[in-house]
Parts: sequence; structure tokens; C-alpha cells
Amino acid sequence: MAVIDTPPETVHAASESATVIPRAQPTGLAGVLGSGDHKVLGRLFIITSLLFGLAVVALGQGFAVEGLAPKTLDVFSADTVFQFFTFFRVATVFLLALPLVIGVAFVVVPLQVGAPALAFPRAAAASFWGWLLGSGLLIASYAMNGGPGGGSTKGVNLWIAALALVVGAIVLAAVSLATTVFALRTPGLTLDRAPLFAWSVLVASIMWLVTLPVLFGLLVLMYVDHRHGGTSFGANAGLYSRLLWVFRNPQIYTVAIPVLGFAADVLATTARTRIAPRFAAQGAIGAFGIVGFGSFFVAATPDSGAYDAAIVMVIGLAAVLPVLAIGGLAGDLFRRGSFRLTAGALYAVSSVLILLLGVAAGALGSLPRLDTAGTVFDLGVTNGVVLASIIASLGAVHWWATKIGRQPANESIGRLAPLVLLLGSAAVVIPDLISGLAGDGAETRLDWTGGIQGLNVIVVVGAALVGLGLLAAMVSLLPILKAGTDVEADPWEGQTLEWLAPSPPPLANFVAPLPVVMSAEPLLDLREEK
Amino acid sequence: MAETAIALPAAPAPARPRVLLVGTALSATAAFMAIVGLVGIYLSARADVVSTGAAWLPEGSNIPLTPANMAIATMLLSAVSMWWAVDAVSRNDRQMAYLALALTMFFGIAVINATSFLYTQMDLAVKTTPGVLIYTITGAHLAMIVVGLVYAAVMTFRTLGGEYQGRDHEGLTAAALFWYVTIAAQAVIWLAIYVTK
Repeated sequence: MAVIDTPPETVHAASESATVIPRAQPTGLAGVLGSGDHKVLGRLFIITSLLFGLAVVALGQGFAVEGLAPKTLDVFSADTVFQFFTFFRVATVFLLALPLVIGVAFVVVPLQVGAPALAFPRAAAASFWGWLLGSGLLIASYAMNGGPGGGSTKGVNLWIAALALVVGAIVLAAVSLATTVFALRTPGLTLDRAPLFAWSVLVASIMWLVTLPVLFGLLVLMYVDHRHGGTSFGANAGLYSRLLWVFRNPQIYTVAIPVLGFAADVLATTARTRIAPRFAAQGAIGAFGIVGFGSFFVAATPDSGAYDAAIVMVIGLAAVLPVLAIGGLAGDLFRRGSFRLTAGALYAVSSVLILLLGVAAGALGSLPRLDTAGTVFDLGVTNGVVLASIIASLGAVHWWATKIGRQPANESIGRLAPLVLLLGSAAVVIPDLISGLAGDGAETRLDWTGGIQGLNVIVVVGAALVGLGLLAAMVSLLPILKAGTDVEADPWEGQTLEWLAPSPPPLANFVAPLPVVMSAEPLLDLREEK
Repeated sequence: MAETAIALPAAPAPARPRVLLVGTALSATAAFMAIVGLVGIYLSARADVVSTGAAWLPEGSNIPLTPANMAIATMLLSAVSMWWAVDAVSRNDRQMAYLALALTMFFGIAVINATSFLYTQMDLAVKTTPGVLIYTITGAHLAMIVVGLVYAAVMTFRTLGGEYQGRDHEGLTAAALFWYVTIAAQAVIWLAIYVTK
């Protein structure tokens, strides 16, 4: 059976008549390993990426501590520090931020567009297992002294192949997500009426589809070169510098596109009003996606001067506008609506604020006169954008807890987590930005010094707060693992279709055929009619 | 006056979501971007070398244009045969569909043959920068051709096996779309590598 086929357990779910009762679902391990159900796959992505996330945060804390006194403190030995650093950068994006977003999107997007299943469920399953295998091999490659700067040729080859597998799996997931939004929307739900989170996932998926294959091609090229003993695309340590474009702006912005959709959806629901004008929100999210197109840097090296081009400055400055637009629309919601203090809203506000910090710093860094290229300034920008994405994803798991899990998350701990993450993120990002502006702290040298030594203390505190925030978020999510009784379908007075589905949703998501959708907020219409 | 029933025409069936076609379009875009990205790296690396006044290809290496011209011409012909296959399936013309598909596969294999012949004529080591680029780009495209051929064959057999009807041949249309993108990628490679060298 090909990956484009519908797996047996979701064959009814994917067919046009969603009311057909599916045959018995496999349970236990078989239900997990062989599942094509988007909710199971989404949960798998979320849980595994959060587990990787704990390791990534611990590693980040290690670098922060090393930066306190690089000459005397030796958290990482001089031989391995560069490998740990590259692992930290790669894992932050490809083992934590992207799969976490994809996991949430896998569960929520089909529900939001009224679809009984993801498009190509078997391909979606292949994307998870491919990603997991690739992630495992990536870690194994470092364990065998591979990765950029590694001493084992085989280990370096394995690192390139493993990263290519991870990237390929993410591209496959993007195909599944984008096709779901394009082709599986319920009748009446035109694209302009699509919920803003689903819209943002569509924009992000398209951007991943047009940029990550370029990275995939580059990795294939590197593999062929390295496998045949060449050094045309970097010897061991040089490999990483060819991949830097993926981890810096504008490309890194593609990781955070769903932040805007999440914030717009959650804040509108929390304020009990419609986001207006809606086309402005959709336009802002689309524009943020477009400015994130960074794969034209694929041939650039840090010394090529490509990042000093005028287009980079234009993109850097333009990226601030969509985030400000969503911030403005959110402010308007607070003004017009009756706002409730929910954990989801706090996560949304925190993630937008950190994203704004990241893109504003990116705009500043794009000014060639400041000469921040190659310093920890770039690391600060990337950390800001990636942390915004992680905060939004954690918020999304909390907000859609009854759809992702079995019952609501703990609201009081959930309100604390985004505040701790907000403070921690700011403390991690801002010192690196200041150090970079002062021209201190090289980003890719074969040892780690961090930024200005005095400011590195703040980074240590920030990294600890981020770790605490992540732990608090995970603790607040523990209740969703337990089975609940009489869990509300719509605990937040939601506006979009996912709140029509029972909590937790059954295999085909909706128990009755959905009515034709007549507006972007069908559930709000229903409440207003009563 | 006898009561006559007013028979309204039946409502059109709801549009079937064209999931496979959309998914294929997105996948083909991704594959095309991978090739275009590689070609971009090729042109950039070549420009860097040429700007120093040095020759791009190592001494003794050569890229003959004739097999490359034959390959692009054959790919263009296969666009016609693929269109013919889609048309035949839409008319439920089993014989013509098989003939058109066989021709498309023949053309695809001919392109693989032409490219591998080109490899023997180039005398270019993989270890060199032009070598690694050219072999990776053309190799990636050959993989795309193989995927396109397998996809077209599977979809044709499924359509003729009854999975799709004459009016509903989305599967083969999707495979044809992927094939056309493969041809576009070949055109990019032909211009950027074989003609420009």
C-alpha cells in the first residue's frame, strides 16, 4: 500500500460520509504504531518533541553556564564543544520547535476545517516515524563523534543523512497539512473563512515546502561530496556554516508563522468577539510567511557578504510589520471584547511579545552598519523567534487540551508557565543582542565564550527560567493524559468548528454531519442567534 | 388538466475533493525547489570560479551537448505521450492508454540512458566541485524521473482497474502533473548545466 492510500482504520474517516461508523480501532501498541489517526500522530509528535526539548533546554543551560567563565569553567571540553553547539542549534529547530508545531497542527487543523481526517494519513504517519528515526540517527551520529567538527568520517556522513531524513519527514508532514487545508475543508468553509490557526499552518506549510527541499538538496550535495572525500561544501566544521541560513533570519521566521494564527484565534475567542478586519489578519500572516523565504541564501557563506545586501535589510524591516499588525488587531480585540484571563491568552500574548522582540532584533541586525553578522546577536534573534514558537505551541496544547488529550489542562499552573517563559526568554535573548551590538561573542568559533561575560549571568538565569517554564507547562498538561468524565466539547465558548467535536474527538472527529458553514465564526453565529 | 410533475434536473454531485491532485502539486513543487536550489548553488559556485579567471571544468573534462539535447527533446516528446495517456484514460480507451503509457516510459528510460551515456563522456571526477554538483543535480533529476514513471504506471493501472472512472481520472492527472514538473526541471538543468556548462 502506498503512502497516498488511506490506512484501514481511517478509511471511513477519510471518505465523504463521515457518519459511517468505523470498524473497531486497534488498541494498545498496535493502535499507536500502526495508526494513521491524526490525533494519535499529533500526540506522538508533541510528546517526543517535548522530551527532546528537555534535553535541548539542559544543553542550552550548559552553554549559558560555560559562558560565565569560558577559560576556567569547562562544561564542555574543547574537543566537543562545537559538536554540542551544533547539536543544540539543530535540535532546537528540528527536534523541538518544528515537530511541536506540526504535532499541534496535526491534531487541530483537521478539526478546525471540519475534516474527518488528515489528507494522506499514511504519509503523515510516515512523516512521524521518519522524523523519529532521523532524530535518533542524528543523536547517534554525535555519539559516534560525528556531526560538524566531528572526528569520525562515518559519523559526519551519518549526521548529514540523518538531518536529510528529518527534513524530508517534515516536508512530508507539510504536504499532508497543506493538502488538508486546501482540499478537505467542509462545505462553505472557503479559504477566507478558514480559522486563522489553520490559515497560518497553511502558510507555514507552503513556506516549508518551498524552502526545506532546498535544504534537503544541499544536504544531499554535502553527503555526496563528503562521502567521496571532497571538501567543496565544507570539511567537518565547515559543513555547519553552509547551513547557517536555516537558523537565522529570514528563514527562521517560517518556524514562527503559526504563532500569529494561534494568537489571533485564541485572543478573539478569549475576548468573545470577532477579529476585524479579518483580511488584515490573514494578510499579515501571509506576509510574514513571504518575508520568511530565506532559501535564496543557500549558496551564501558567512564571508560572502550576502547578508549585507539591501534586500536583507528590506526583508528584516518588513518582517516587523505583520507582527505589529497582529499585535494591533489583538489590542483592538481587547478594546471591543469582554476579555477573560485564560492561560491560552497569556501564552498568546507572551509568544507575540517574544516574537516581536525577535523580529525587531532581526530588523536591527539587518542594518549592515551595525555589523552584527557572525556574533551572538544572530543567536539572540534565532532564540527569540524559536522560543516564541515553542511558547505558542505549548499554549496551543493547553488551549486545545480537550481535543489533544482527554480533559482540560490545569489552568492555574497554566497561567504561571507563560509568564515564567516570557521572563526567561527575554533574559536569554536580550543579553545576546546587547553583546552582539557591542561586537562581542563570535557565534561559530570552535569554542564557546557566549557574549559579554557580565551579561552571561543573566543568560544563565534566563535559561533556568525557560527550563522552569517548560517544566511548569508540562506539569499543567499532565491532567490531559488521564481519562475524564463529561468533558465539555467547548470549554472556551469557541468560534470555530473544532469546538463542535466531542472532547476527546472520536475517530472521524464529528458525530454528525456538519452544516454548511456561512461565516468565519460559525459557533459565534449560533450563539448570537439564540 | 392532468397534473404534471415538474421534474427538476438532479442537483450536481458535490465536488469531490481533489486531494491527490493537490498533494501531488505540492510534492512536485517541493521536488522542483530542491532541483532549483541545487542549480542555484551550481551557478553561484561556477560564477565564483569564473570571476577569478579560472576555468570552471577541470582540464580534460567536457560536457558534450548532443546527448543533453537528445534528452531534453525526448522529455518534451514524453509530455505529448503523457497528455495522450491522460486523454485516452478519460475516454476509457484502454489500448491507447497502455500504448501512450508505454511510450512515456520508453521516453523516460531513454532519458536515463542518455544521461548515463553523458556521464561516460564527461570524464569528470565526483571529488571535484563541478563533479559533485553535476552528478548530484542530474542524479536527483534521474530519481525524479523514476518516481514520475512509477507514479504514472501505478495510476494508469489503477484507473484502468476501475479505481477511477473515465470522467474521474484524478490519479493519472496528478501523475501527469508530476511528470510535467519533471520536464520543467530537465529544462532548467539543460539550460543551466549543459548549455551554460
